[in-house]
Amino acid sequence: MKKLATALSAVTLTALLLSACSSNNNDANEPSSAAPSAQASDKAPESAPADKGPKTKLVFWTFDRHDNEYIKERVDNYNKTNQDNIEVEVTAMTENYVQSVDIAFASKQAPDILRPNQDTTIPFVKKGYLEPLDSYLTDEMKTKFGPTIQDQANQFDGKIYTLPNFGYTLRLVYNKDLFDKAGITNPPTTLAEMVEDAKKITEAGKADGQYGFALNFKAPKSALDRSAREILQLSGIDGFGYDIRTGKFEFSGFKPVIEAFKQMRDDGSMLPGVESLDIDPLRAQFAQGKIGMYLSYSAEPGVYQNQFPTEINWGAAQAPTIDGTIKGAAGFANSGQWLAISSQSEKKDAAWKFLTYMYSDELLKDYHEKGYGLSAVPSIAAQANTPAIKGVEGFLLTQYDALWPLPPAVTVQGLNYGDAFFKYVLGGGSLDDIVADLNKRYNEALDKAVAAGETKAVVDPSFDPVKLQGTMLTK
Amino acid sequence: MKWRVHIENYGFLLPSFLLTAVLGIYPIFWAMRYMFYDYKGYGDMIYIGFDNFTRLWGDELFWEAVRNTIVYAGGKIVITIPLSLIIAVILDRGLKGRNFLRALYFMPTVISTAVIAVVFFIIFNSYNGLLNQFLTKNRLVSSAIDWLGPDYAMLTVIILAVWGAIGNYMLLFLAGLQSIPGDLYESAEIDGASPFQKFWKITVPMLGPVMQMIIMLAITVSLKGYESIMVLTEGGPIGKTEVMYLYVYKLLFPVSTGSAMIQEIGYGSAVGFATAIIVGVITGFYFMLSRRLNRIY
Amino acid sequence: MNGIGKWVSRVILWLFLLIIAFFTVFPVLMTILGSFKSNLELASGATIWPKEWHFSNYAEAWKQANFSTYTWNSLFVSVASTVGTLIVASMAGYVMDRRNFIGKRFFVVMQASTMFISIGAVVLRPQFELMVDLRLNQSLWGVVFILISAHATTFFILMGFFKAIPRDVDEAAMIDGCSFMGIYWRMILPLLKPGLGVTALFAFRTAWNEYILPLVFTMNTPKLQTLTVGLTNLRYGSGAAMQTHLMMAGACLSMLPILVVYFFANRSFMQVTAGSVKG
Repeated sequence: MKKLATALSAVTLTALLLSACSSNNNDANEPSSAAPSAQASDKAPESAPADKGPKTKLVFWTFDRHDNEYIKERVDNYNKTNQDNIEVEVTAMTENYVQSVDIAFASKQAPDILRPNQDTTIPFVKKGYLEPLDSYLTDEMKTKFGPTIQDQANQFDGKIYTLPNFGYTLRLVYNKDLFDKAGITNPPTTLAEMVEDAKKITEAGKADGQYGFALNFKAPKSALDRSAREILQLSGIDGFGYDIRTGKFEFSGFKPVIEAFKQMRDDGSMLPGVESLDIDPLRAQFAQGKIGMYLSYSAEPGVYQNQFPTEINWGAAQAPTIDGTIKGAAGFANSGQWLAISSQSEKKDAAWKFLTYMYSDELLKDYHEKGYGLSAVPSIAAQANTPAIKGVEGFLLTQYDALWPLPPAVTVQGLNYGDAFFKYVLGGGSLDDIVADLNKRYNEALDKAVAAGETKAVVDPSFDPVKLQGTMLTK
Repeated sequence: MKWRVHIENYGFLLPSFLLTAVLGIYPIFWAMRYMFYDYKGYGDMIYIGFDNFTRLWGDELFWEAVRNTIVYAGGKIVITIPLSLIIAVILDRGLKGRNFLRALYFMPTVISTAVIAVVFFIIFNSYNGLLNQFLTKNRLVSSAIDWLGPDYAMLTVIILAVWGAIGNYMLLFLAGLQSIPGDLYESAEIDGASPFQKFWKITVPMLGPVMQMIIMLAITVSLKGYESIMVLTEGGPIGKTEVMYLYVYKLLFPVSTGSAMIQEIGYGSAVGFATAIIVGVITGFYFMLSRRLNRIY
Repeated sequence: MNGIGKWVSRVILWLFLLIIAFFTVFPVLMTILGSFKSNLELASGATIWPKEWHFSNYAEAWKQANFSTYTWNSLFVSVASTVGTLIVASMAGYVMDRRNFIGKRFFVVMQASTMFISIGAVVLRPQFELMVDLRLNQSLWGVVFILISAHATTFFILMGFFKAIPRDVDEAAMIDGCSFMGIYWRMILPLLKPGLGVTALFAFRTAWNEYILPLVFTMNTPKLQTLTVGLTNLRYGSGAAMQTHLMMAGACLSMLPILVVYFFANRSFMQVTAGSVKG
């Protein structure tokens, strides 16, 4: 017993010592390195205009990390200057956003303002977490956001649940130095060129550990969704396998792209170990000049400026197409959603006031110009200046970027297309069989979901990808 | 007077019984309820009878996970148990500096799984991992080994498991070795027995019951382990290291954005149930086997 | 010949132990070294020694994470669940070993089944829902109770040790007029120390390293998070990429408490082993 007591007291002592040491460093939630304009980050709302009694406190949960400091600063500003006696507390969640939200709603402690995204909006709406915004929208807002409202993205059953702010363009990211070293003047415009270029770069640089191509194949679907997707979309094929003209899934369009990936791997032009490569290690290697090219979202400039500062000459170019002809447009990704109000909130009106502030022209424009994301709202994109971030030039919207109609969300049994295709890249087999199997399983899942009323299979035989071109540019 | 005895008996048992029943057994029944439904965490729960199980029967991913789990657990046990036993035996002999060594072997436990993932990735990654650097620089292999690739990922994951487990089992064996009376060894030495003979004729038999328990513990733990796999390979690449419990976890808890799997509580419960049965069968099988061996000894 | 033979075997033994020791310690070393590296260096792997020593990682990690809170929470959960487990399991083990009554078999089967029949992460949902209903999810007690409920291993291990304590002890105490509870508290527990020591160490370590359980329970309440959860969250600061270097620094800081505990537990452990020096 004595031993236990001694042990316990020693341990408690240690804990006390630790807490004593940190008594100066409380408030880990305070922004430690906020932008200069928010230096007076004393959250002292008491000095705000007119003490109108107890403040309405709003809880705002977001999972965006790249703009964390900026959002905190904007929220602080709002807290200090708003005339409605509202105080907002913003928390940036880690990777468990969905689970946190589930738990919060289950224990009736939901936040007031949420940040849904392209994957979570449908479940959130289905679970009844989000409050429709239609009654709050002013005519002005309806005009401003009109072109961005998309069914199954931010509108469901005629009701709008969230409004967009920014989106990501998809590009080929390449290392100019390595291209020069291999004697290639321009980034590839066809799949064949891409395979060829990767080979040349590897030959020129292998001795220095440099390889032509890489992707984050640790998560195959994520890898394909940032690469095969826009290659297909530019070639006039849906990037997720859904053919809106027939209302069915048809994965044969992927074949050339998957063959190209397999070829690059067989050639040895891919960084060794891509199958266990996560996106950040990939970026780290790219920053160190070990990778010739990869495909990804417009989040990359931010990464190479802040997290993995690099000295290589890199740039972004439009992704290649299957045969060099452009028959469609690259998707503008993850762009339909940003903020939403919780259905469980008891302060919806106050939450809406905060949303008005966040969605103001001024903030959206500033967001775009500071390089946190390319604006998805046409009127904002038209008046905003180029974002002040190195390397973003290649990512800016062109006539070959557009919003594609969304494929229906289905629960497929067995391997999803990412895993199934990657299996082929690694181990070979019959690509035709894989495509046939995917078609079968995805369409079965689609039929099941439609029968259960979970989703609608939108059919539009007149859909023409070429018509998408130029739609993101304001006239 | 009799009352008193009953109160004492059941009273002492109560906390354990209550906690186990409420927090340990009840959840199993909860899960069993969901097994027969199609439930994705929202919307209606549709009764589908045994459909989840029919799906399970044909689910290639699941059966691969079963195979992987057995390989993983088997590999881990086959390497760890003899190794930790030998180390325990050596340390038990009062070697100088053995406390220091014991502390070293205990080290793996002080690091969390997320950190382990980062460090092991640095060591094992195929592109510039430390292990490959060491092997190629010293010409031990002709070309870099793809430790996290489809061929070797399982081996790597087993190595990680062994690394984490050696210290534990060594401690357990050490505790067991304490109970062997020293005189047995002394009289054996007087009779001129060699270290080997002492080991096989005294240590192993005397350690029998303890070893049985330890192996049983090892089997249950290894079959259930998935956290370290989850952070290192996430079951990849292409499902080569997907173990049963990881599959269950993925079905129940949606991984972050851009994930491949969709939350399916109904199916997940069914898979969990099937997994429990498989583990139970394997453990039960071992139990009967060891009983038989007990009688022989 | 004998002398050399002995010497050779000694060397081999030592080599063997040292190799295993190196194998065990190397990743820990890498963690410590990694805590001084930059994020880029960590993400691109490849080096053992840091190219530059970033001592600021520790300051940053300390600032961004609420270390004292996390440590306190981890300690609370670990100590509470260890003490709870020991009490619950030893009480049950005591009465199971010393007395006979109806339902003994059933109880053993129940305990064994919780060990062998495990459906994995599925249990987290009902456990969580239960705790919400009991309002215990607002504090860490929910986590503690769930940890205590998994005492089957401790129970079986202690049963083994109970069997080793002779009944004469009980009888002598009863003659002296000790109650059942008294015997338990004053006579048996002290004799059970070796068993308690081992199981305490394991229970503490299990509770300390728990990740998924406290993660689910404290996802939305940062001030309740334990070290395992809080540290992993360090990865995500501002910026689209992970701040692994801070997580490593945090991990090193959190090694300290458990090392202290191990040190003290080892001391009591040594009492056990001191009595049996061989060869």
